[in-house]
Order: sequence, then structure tokens, then C-alpha cells
Amino acid sequence: MSSQPLDLLQGTLDVLVLRALAWGPMHGYAVSRWIHERTDGVLTIEDAPLYKSLHRLERAGYVAAEWGLSEKNRRARYYTLTPTGRRHFHAEEATWRQYAAAVFKVLEPA
Amino acid sequence: MRPRRFFRLPWRTARQIRADIDDELQFHIAERVDALIALGTAPDTARAQALREFGDIDDARRYIDAVDRDIEAAQRRSDFMSDLLHDIAYAARKLRASPGFTLAAIATLALGIGANTAIFSVVNAVLLRPLPFPKSDRIMRIQFKQQGHGDASTPMDLVDYRTQATRFAGFSTMEPTTANISRDQGDAERVQALRVNANWFELLRVTPLVGRFFLPGEDQQGAPAVAVMSEELWRRDFSADPAIIGKTLRVNAKAVTVVGVVAANKHYPLTVEMWMPKQFDAQELSDAARGARWLGLVARVKDDADVDAARAEVTRISEAMEKRFPEDFRERRATAVPLHDYMVGDLRKPLYLILGAVVLVLLIACANVANLLLVRANARESELAIRAALGAGRGRLIRQLMTESVLLAIVGGGVGVLVAKIGMTKLLSSAPASLVMAQHASIDATTLALTAFVAIATGLLFGVLPALQANARQLASTLRAGGRGQNTRPGAHRTKQTIVVAELALAVVLLSGAGLLLRSFERLMSVDPGFKPDGVLTMKVALPAVKYDSTAARNLVATIEQRVRSLPGVDRSGVATYVPLDNSSYDFTFEIRGRPVPRPSDEPASEVRQVTPEFFSAMGIPVVRGRGIDATDIPTAPHVYVVNEAFAKKFFPNADAVGQSIRMDWGRDPKGATNQIVGVVGDVHSFGLEDAPEPTVYASLAQYPANGLTIVARSAAPATLAAALRGVMRDLDRDVPVYSVMTMRERVDASVGAQRFYASLIAIFAAVALVLAAVGLYGVIAYAVSQRTHELGVRVALGATTDRIARMVIGEGLALTVTGVGIGIAAALVFGHVMASLLFGVSARDPLTLTAVVVALGVVSTLASWLPARRAARVDPLVAMRGD
Repeated sequence: MSSQPLDLLQGTLDVLVLRALAWGPMHGYAVSRWIHERTDGVLTIEDAPLYKSLHRLERAGYVAAEWGLSEKNRRARYYTLTPTGRRHFHAEEATWRQYAAAVFKVLEPA
Repeated sequence: MRPRRFFRLPWRTARQIRADIDDELQFHIAERVDALIALGTAPDTARAQALREFGDIDDARRYIDAVDRDIEAAQRRSDFMSDLLHDIAYAARKLRASPGFTLAAIATLALGIGANTAIFSVVNAVLLRPLPFPKSDRIMRIQFKQQGHGDASTPMDLVDYRTQATRFAGFSTMEPTTANISRDQGDAERVQALRVNANWFELLRVTPLVGRFFLPGEDQQGAPAVAVMSEELWRRDFSADPAIIGKTLRVNAKAVTVVGVVAANKHYPLTVEMWMPKQFDAQELSDAARGARWLGLVARVKDDADVDAARAEVTRISEAMEKRFPEDFRERRATAVPLHDYMVGDLRKPLYLILGAVVLVLLIACANVANLLLVRANARESELAIRAALGAGRGRLIRQLMTESVLLAIVGGGVGVLVAKIGMTKLLSSAPASLVMAQHASIDATTLALTAFVAIATGLLFGVLPALQANARQLASTLRAGGRGQNTRPGAHRTKQTIVVAELALAVVLLSGAGLLLRSFERLMSVDPGFKPDGVLTMKVALPAVKYDSTAARNLVATIEQRVRSLPGVDRSGVATYVPLDNSSYDFTFEIRGRPVPRPSDEPASEVRQVTPEFFSAMGIPVVRGRGIDATDIPTAPHVYVVNEAFAKKFFPNADAVGQSIRMDWGRDPKGATNQIVGVVGDVHSFGLEDAPEPTVYASLAQYPANGLTIVARSAAPATLAAALRGVMRDLDRDVPVYSVMTMRERVDASVGAQRFYASLIAIFAAVALVLAAVGLYGVIAYAVSQRTHELGVRVALGATTDRIARMVIGEGLALTVTGVGIGIAAALVFGHVMASLLFGVSARDPLTLTAVVVALGVVSTLASWLPARRAARVDPLVAMRGD
């Protein structure tokens, strides 16, 4: 079980997943790799919460899922950002940037 | 918002959802294992690492399963709604495409549903809606039953119940009276009034609209005279001026202070417009007065008392009273009847009968629309077959067709509400006085809810048969047959025939009901009332007792008679206390000289009327034996009576009534005096044409003056006399209001108003039913003919004459008619008895009526089949055979 605060993790992870899908439709494994590569392994994210996030976002209508075939001809579930999801991502992204900027400002040695 | 898809995903079961989750997670693990192996990890450690990186996979599976179930449920809901919207749009398009069918169906349904809405709103207002008082089911009317007496009570009953009953919050008597309200200018007005105890409004639990109600003690002797008026009167005569409170009016020539106004419709009885306290005197409140019964008794059960126990208590007290006063109370039983039941007692049966009739009309309307839909379904078979071929399941097609019929019904229901609104106005304007509660009927939320329910149920009812016929398998064969869909399956025609037979049977039931009511009405109207109603105008006046003592009243009567007689056009004129059919009863017990004095409860009783000498000839009542009241029957002459035949027959069956002497117990003769009977006159129906004439004693108005009078004038043109008659009274005393100015013909008509209303209502519904059934029959036969054009053509080509063809087609119609009528008559015979109590002089199985119904239906059916038969006979064999 994760020892990190769940709500922070959830909100953070959702934004990262949306960001990944903003790049284009992909299956869960691709999302996992995409985030892993982008964070250079700084954030160690387990895959279980990632899949939870994907389905949660589907229920919220931010992503749509469809079965397709992977590059290796395996049956894979592909996720696409919906227009609502894209709007939601942009709003969340702005909030995050403000949040991060504020934190940086505090931490900056005066 | 769900993302919009261009195609529908199949719905997933719980098992499928779980399988999909497993697939997705396994895909992830497989991909990761491959990647790790590609990086040089050993295959068995690769798998372990992938699983470690994944984290708690079982927890993820459970979580995702719950989320996916939510998604699935939302998907199903949205699919259902979009299907529904799609079906509705499709149905609307289809209905618009055939306006003839749609209009016919909507009109039929609007008629059926509208009639139901109107009648239900009346039934709701009268029978179902509770009285407008808090906890109104606890308000009781106490009725006394004793052989030979009415259900009235005495002031002492009030005392008894107030002191002995423990489960009641209060009791009050009520005495109907009239209030003559004098005004400074203009004629005096007479309104219905009620004398009650001071706690009257407390019993009903109404609050005053303005001012206050009666205070305790205002019903005691010597209390100042006060009155409460209804909002209706307050608005009509006093322009709703709040300053009316504290004002003094002259009521019945006495000063009365108005203390309060009661809100419109929040009072009982509804027709009363003024309430005044009833003050009993010491004589009335003594055991000696236990025999004089004229009051109504109303009570409210305590909130915490059991209603049934309280009702039982009322009866128990009357039994205890019998032990104390065995003479006055012999077998006199009191029952507490809920006020609402008391008010609607006689109305329940006819209203439910009418409701039943409109339901039948609606069923027939449904049957007609179902048949229309069936014909349409045949024509649409190829359309349905194509949709079935494109993958629409049977359930989906049924749903589509049902949507269409429910949509029709809802539109029909909407139009029906308009029909009901118009119909209600007409209905209420012709409603009889006994249906006064119906005047507050309106199309309210309850009615609208019921209408909506009826509309949807109707749609399902008439839609289900045609929809079920859209059997996918048969549709497929239709498509193979070239998509013509014209070769009706025999089963479909049989269904239509069955529906028409049912329609005809229902119409027969309604028609025989209407026939019986009309015939009983005609019987009622042919009853000889005992007087000659044509050419007689009557007018009531109420002389205030404080202004007119007996001498003044006698003198006024003489003046009135003389003035009226001298009016141009008046042949005869008389004055009487009451006239026939004016809903007044004035009865007393009496003793017959020479017979042993009976026990108090066995005393004979008779109605009493005081009349002037010319009353009998003015009214057209014949003197059968002896003489009538004469001009010589003046106060100083010996007091005499004239009796009617019913009296003579009942009390002197074996002797001549003329020459006998009786003593009326009405306290107007010296002790021990008896009056001789000097003549016998013909019977009149005083209380209704359907009721047997009551024994009646006529006395001389000069010898026994009265204050409540009815002036009677016979003339060639009675209607034009009204103004002159009013003028006479205004000249003599403008404070005396005149009221109830009616010809005797109008009184006769009013007395049968209820019967006329019910009979004509049922007759209208029956006529609608007949037309609908005839249209249904016509539709089925006409459709059958159009389907058989080819066959008929062959027959003509083979030498069948046009006569033969026509006979064949009419034969089919008559076969259906005979079956339908047979079933209907059987039903009418079986269910006729429910009407028995509403009939007069006609048996519920009256053969003449039933024969007339059969003949009427035979004629209408022949006509309905003759029209298509004529078309069939004109079939040109060449065209018919080539065309197919």
C-alpha cells in the first residue's frame, strides 16, 4: 500500500495522466512508460494507482476508452482525451502552475 | 457528459467487465515483461519485477471493477434516454406522415379521455375530496330512526348528548330557516339561513375570514342578536367591505349585528348564506317537549377518541334514553353518520354509474384506435420487416410501436383536457340542485394526474395488440413475399373482428343503460302530478313575524288575493302555505274522534297545508267529495278540514271521511276541540313524481293564518306575470322579499332535474359509443373489402351478381353485429340490476328497451356495412384482377 497522502497523489496523478493523453491516444502501459520517462525516474509511480486513475477519468467523462490492437498485435485498451477532458486538463494545468510558482516563491532564498 | 459515440457499444455483463479488466492488466504485465527481457533481465525475474512495479493489483482490480460498473450503468441510462428520444422523434414523424389517421385517433381519444376527465373531476369534488374542514372525517351527523318519524332531533336530545357523551368534542343543533335582509333602497333579499348553537363553527373548525364567530352564551335567551354571513353574500351585497363587522342589518324585521364572515365554500351547508344562534326557551328545554322533533344534530368526535367507539356511544345513549322515556323513545335509535357520507348518500350510485359509462366510452375509443393501428400495422409491415432485417430486435420494434401509441394517447389526453374544460362548463350549468357540491369541481392536480395515468394506460392498452402482432419472424416472411405486406394474415383480421365485437357489446351495454334511464324518465314525466301545472305561476313570500301577527297576516292575504285576481290575464288566484314539489314538509300527528288514543309513537300523522278558497281551482286540484275550503270558512265560523284521497283511504278505509272529526296536534286549537272533515280533494305528488302522494290535510288560511306563503295565479301567459306579481308585493310592503318565483311547470321540471341530468348524460355517452362502434365496424368491413378486391373481382368475373356480392359483405358485418349484440344483451341482463334503484316504473330487464337497442344497433350496423358493400359490388373484375 502507498504511504503517501492519497488525495494529493490522486490529484497529481490525474493531471499527469491527462497530460500524457493530451499528447495522443495511448494504452495504459504507454501512459506508464511516458510518465516514467518524462520524470526521469524521480517520481516512482506504481501502476496500480495509474490504472485506477484512468478508469476514474473515464467515469468522469474526461477520457474515452476503446479496445484496439497494440504494435505487437495484442488486445489493448486505448484511452483518448475527450473535449471535456482537454478543457479540464487545461484548467488543472493552470492551477498547478500557479501552485508550483507559489511554492517556489516561498522556497526562494530571499 | 458522456462522450458521444457514432455507434452503440453492446452492453456488458458483470462477468464481461471483470474479463475486460483482467485483459487490460495482463496486457500491461506482458508488455512490461517483454521490455525487461529486451533490456537483458532474466524471464523469471522480469515477471516478478513487473508485478512489483505494478503495486497492489488485487486492490486495483476491485477499485476498477466498481468504477466500471458505474460507467456501464450510466451508459445504459443514457442509451435508454436516447432510444426514447429517438423513438419519440420517429413516432412523431410517422404520425405526421399520415394526418388522417392521426387526427381520427387523437379526436377519438380526446373525446374518450376528455369525458373521463370531466366526469372524474365531478366525482372527485363530490365523493372523493374530503370536506374542507380539518379532520372532517370526525364530523358526524346524528340521525334518529323511529317508525313513523323523520330523522330529526329535539332540543332535549342536544342536552342529553352534551351531558352523557364522553367521546365528543361538541354537539350543535341546526335549524334551516330563511333570512329576509331589508335594505334602505331596493327590494329586500331573502337568503337561506341556519340557526345553530354558538359552538357551530368550532365544531367545523373553520376560522373567520373577517371578524369573529359566535361567542359562548350567544345562543342563550336574552343574548344580543348576532349573525355570521358567507363570503358569497358579503361580496355580492356588501362589496366585500370589512366595515360590515359591527353593522346592524334588519333581518326578518329585527335588528341583527353582523359579527363575522365565513370563507366561501368553507361552510356547511353550502347553500346557506347566513348563520344565527338558536336560542331555546325553557319550554323547549323540558321533558314535555321531547316529542317535537325538527332539528338537525351535528357533532365532532374528539381527536384522541376512536371514531367507531364514538359512533357506538351515540347509539348506546339513545338506547339508554329509551329506558328513561319508553313512550317518546320507543325503538328510537340514533346513529352517527360521517357528515360527508350524509351529504353524498344519494349521489354515490348515479355518479359511479356515470363514471362507469364514461369508462366504457373510453374502452370503445381504445378499441377503435387499436383497430386503426392494426390496419396501419398491416400497411407498414414492409417498413417493419426492413427494420427487423437491419437488426432491430422484436422488443425494439414493439417499443417503437408502443411509443407511437402512447404518444398518440398523450396528445389525445392533452386535447382531452381541453374537451373536459369545455364540457365541464356545460355539465355544471345543467347539473341539478342536489349536485351543489359539484359546482366546486375543477380540473385540479388530482384530476390531471389521473388523466395522465389514463392517457398512458390507454396508449398501452390500445397499442399492445398491434405491437405484439409485429412478430419479427412473420415480418421476415413478409419481406420475402416481396415487401408488399398486403396479404393480411388471417389472424390479424380475426383480431380486428374480435375488437369490433367487443366494441359492439360495450355499446349495447351503454345503450341499454341509457334506454332504461330515458324510459324511466319518460314514465316519470307521464305521472299525473294531481294538479294542472301549465299556466300556473307561483311566488313565495315570508312575512316577518314581528311585523305580522295573525290578524295582520290574514288581512294581507286577503289584500294580496284581491290584487292578484285583478291583474290583467289572471283567471284564478289563491294563497297557500306550501305548494306541491316545493320541497317543504309540514307534518303533525293527529287524533281521530271516536277512536282510542294510541300510544305516542303510534299516532297517525299527516301533512298540513293552509289554503284560500280559490287555491284548489287555481292549482287544478279537483274536489272529489263534499266541498273544498270556502269563503265562509272565516275565523268565527266552525273550523273545518279538507283531506286528500290518500288521507281518506289510509285512515278511513271502510268509512266516508267526510263528516269525521279530527284534532291536529299543532297547538292552534282550543283544548279538546275537533274539526270536521267537510270534503275530499284529489291527491297531488307533493314530494316528487316518483313518490306516492302523502296523506294531507287542508285547512282554511283565514282560520289558521301563516307567515310563510305561496301566491298562486293561473293565467294564459304565466311567465309574463312574474313582474306584475312582484309589483303587487312591493306596493304592499317593500320589506317583504319575494322569492322562488316559478311556474308549476318549472317546479315539475326541477323536481325531475336529477333524473333528467343523469339520463341525458348517459344518453350522450351512449350516442358517442354507438357512433364509435359503428365507425369501428365500418372500418373493419371497409378494410376487408379493400383487401379482397382481387377475390371479389374473380367472383364477379365468374358470374356473381352485384346483389350477391353486397349481400356477402353485409353478411359479414351482420355476423359481427349479432355476436356483439348477443354478448352485450347478455351483459346488460346480468348487470342491469345495479341500475334497478335508479329506475322508475321500468324493469332493469325491460324487454321493450332491449328490443329497441337491438333494432337500433341492427340499423346502424347494416348502414355501416352497406357503405363498403356498395363499393364491393361496383368492383370492376378487369381492374381488380389486373391491379393485383
